[in-house]
Amino acid sequence: MRTDGVRTVIGGVGYRNLRDHSFGIVMSDELEPLAELPHLLIEDLCYGPVAVGQWLLDEALVAPITRAVFVSAVGREDGRAPGTIVAYRWDGVLPSDEEIQRAVTDAVTGVILLDNTLIVTAWMGALPPDTFVVEVEPIEHAFGDEMSPAVAAAYPVAKELVMRLATDETASGALPTMPLGGGWTATAVWRVAR
Amino acid sequence: MCFKNLPIEFDAQGKAFLKEGTANPYSTAVAEPPGIPKQLDPEKIKELVKRNGHVKDVDFDPVTRVAGALAFHTVTDVKERKVLEARSVATLFRGYEVIMIGRDPRDAIYITSRACGVCGGVHSTCSALAIEMAIGCQPPPLGVLVRNLALSLEFLYDNPLHLHLLAGPDYSEVIVKGTNPGMIEKAKVTEAAHAHLHGYRTMHDLMVDLNPLSGGLYLEALHMTRVAREAYVLICGKYPHPQTIVPGGMSSTITLSVMNEMFVRLSQFFDYGKKIAGIWEDLTNFFYEYDPQYKRVGARRANIIDTGIFDDPDSYDTLYKNANEWGNRRWCTPGAIVDGKLATTDLHKINMGVEEFIEHSYYDEWTGSGQKQHFPTDPAGNPMSPYHPWNKVTKPKPGAQSWKEKYTWDTAPRWDRLSMEAGCYGRLWSTAVAQKMPDNPFIQSTGHSLKIRLPKGKLPETEIEWKVPDVWNAFERNRARAYCVGWTAMIAMNTWMACMNRLKDGDTKTSTKFEIPKRGEQMGVGFWGAGRGYLTHHLVLDRGAVSNYQIVTPSTWNASPTDKWGQPGPYEEAVMNTPLLEESTDPKDFRGIDILRAIRSFDPCMPCTTHIQSEAGMITREVNTCACGLDE
Repeated sequence: MRTDGVRTVIGGVGYRNLRDHSFGIVMSDELEPLAELPHLLIEDLCYGPVAVGQWLLDEALVAPITRAVFVSAVGREDGRAPGTIVAYRWDGVLPSDEEIQRAVTDAVTGVILLDNTLIVTAWMGALPPDTFVVEVEPIEHAFGDEMSPAVAAAYPVAKELVMRLATDETASGALPTMPLGGGWTATAVWRVAR
Repeated sequence: MCFKNLPIEFDAQGKAFLKEGTANPYSTAVAEPPGIPKQLDPEKIKELVKRNGHVKDVDFDPVTRVAGALAFHTVTDVKERKVLEARSVATLFRGYEVIMIGRDPRDAIYITSRACGVCGGVHSTCSALAIEMAIGCQPPPLGVLVRNLALSLEFLYDNPLHLHLLAGPDYSEVIVKGTNPGMIEKAKVTEAAHAHLHGYRTMHDLMVDLNPLSGGLYLEALHMTRVAREAYVLICGKYPHPQTIVPGGMSSTITLSVMNEMFVRLSQFFDYGKKIAGIWEDLTNFFYEYDPQYKRVGARRANIIDTGIFDDPDSYDTLYKNANEWGNRRWCTPGAIVDGKLATTDLHKINMGVEEFIEHSYYDEWTGSGQKQHFPTDPAGNPMSPYHPWNKVTKPKPGAQSWKEKYTWDTAPRWDRLSMEAGCYGRLWSTAVAQKMPDNPFIQSTGHSLKIRLPKGKLPETEIEWKVPDVWNAFERNRARAYCVGWTAMIAMNTWMACMNRLKDGDTKTSTKFEIPKRGEQMGVGFWGAGRGYLTHHLVLDRGAVSNYQIVTPSTWNASPTDKWGQPGPYEEAVMNTPLLEESTDPKDFRGIDILRAIRSFDPCMPCTTHIQSEAGMITREVNTCACGLDE
């Protein structure tokens, strides 16, 4: 058990019952029993990003949050194959004010997306300095509770990664600092670090 | 005379019948309704653009700071500073009508909630009401009251969000200094009349705090959405998609503890209601004084429709035949307002006057030769159009975009063949004029205004008064919406007190058991309202399953396209009437702020209007480009 003042949030972002797009919420549900550990907060973050930011700020008043690991399926449509896991330390660089406004508008009108959640919560000053992202490229967008074979195969790998990022200083230290989306190199770096 | 364009008359007992001697009474091959505004012919517009360098296409795709995917096309004469053509484009197919077919009606409560990420609760409630009517299941009084309370809290999320996060920035210092720098100088030396309510000494101070991301009012609105949301989840379980709304009431357990926690949050809207009304009074009057032409921004005929909302538990019996009685006992009176005059508050007349047309929409006709009209009358025997939602069949037909042919996924709802708009101001207006609201200590309908007494908070007890306006435009929409915050808070307060009285008497029952009939055909309709106004769900059950489900939302009305007679939809009409008052001289600097003010004043919510399913599956993020290729 960590006793060194590290307090980590693991948050699943996405929609329920939407096959691959439920990747994050399935994982946070599964990890939820670990929330009994005092240094871990496991949270279903499938709700409005403004409310997520407000929750993080409230929790930080209880005890500072030092690390956050967000897990989600995000279709980047940049050529990466379905099931590809990309992990990185987010550089926290915010887009233009116009884009932030758009993110807030989307947030208060019901859009739940990893990028939006990160942008809005960072703009609110709610994210800890160490914010990590584990995202998977989805393929199936339909209703249902079954992930596609590619994403289902990636799931245990991603789960192990999330847990290591939340608990293992060396794992998180090996990840590159990247903008939203991470890029291909992040995955490669993770594989080397393993 | 309620209807001027539909061939419906009434006998001495008030029973409606179709005018005799009309062979095809609902034919659309009739002359256009008299006095309607019209779009210019697209060919003529094309010619004007070709011949004049100063006549240009100005497109907004997407329109930002609105909920969902809305594109807007205009042809603008930058020399004359006016809009010649306006086309509202809903870029995605909604599809709930298709998704619901064949399902258990109870699914509608959870599925249709997803029509909106802001006001899921109103869709759940509306579907619960439709089911209650279809199966004859009456909720207990506390169930009706708790439902009222839940939805009033949802509106306290919705209206401030629009005013200070979506529309407010259009009037902020940072925007106005770029479009009308002269106004900023004037704002610096103009004292704010309602400083005692909002705390801003000058209009400039107020406009600075409207700045997006950094302004105090922007940030405060984010906080107030939390307050409302927290109160809402006490009874609905979660936001925006409630878990406790059921046919026959609510499944929530209501205790004194829940009520107390709710009051702590509700009471924060007493002062906020005063403040927000003062802010929009001052903003509206300041713009009018700076340039009276602002009265034309977003102007259109005051044709507004609303079904009313918030039932009286002693009157609501779910029955269609009694809808006029229970409708007129609601906290918010139903109403069809035509040219600023209240034409009716009768839910039967409001319902029977509604038709949906698809001449410029990506749908196929469902009427036509050889096709029998399913319901020639409503359950009370009133005549009903083949274009009425109970008779409508949703038949998506994607195609190429053409202003002359089809260009949007929205339909064109009309009432008495008129283009009507919807908004929370519709219920405000009807209630103010009709003088039918229940007696209570906080709200008074005067026949020309609505007086709202807001209790003492940090600010003293204050009476605010919304007056029926002389003109109808973007500013009046926002001003009225601002009064709706305090008004809704006091409806919630009245309801909260009624709930407490019930609890004191030991009444804790919030729902009635029911069964879905497995035989025969039943009809139901939910007449409710969203934060943005009018909402109906029309339902037909056949042997226990949904055989037709039709949703008409506020933005279905507001974003509607031009109809068969050339009559523009409300956004389109409002934009066509908008003078371009920004002070830029270089066309490259043209931002179209007045057009955007006109559109945003309606509080567009496109997810309710259009959604979601393509051959590739669910779309979880709205797109900005034309979705002509999407199908069910």
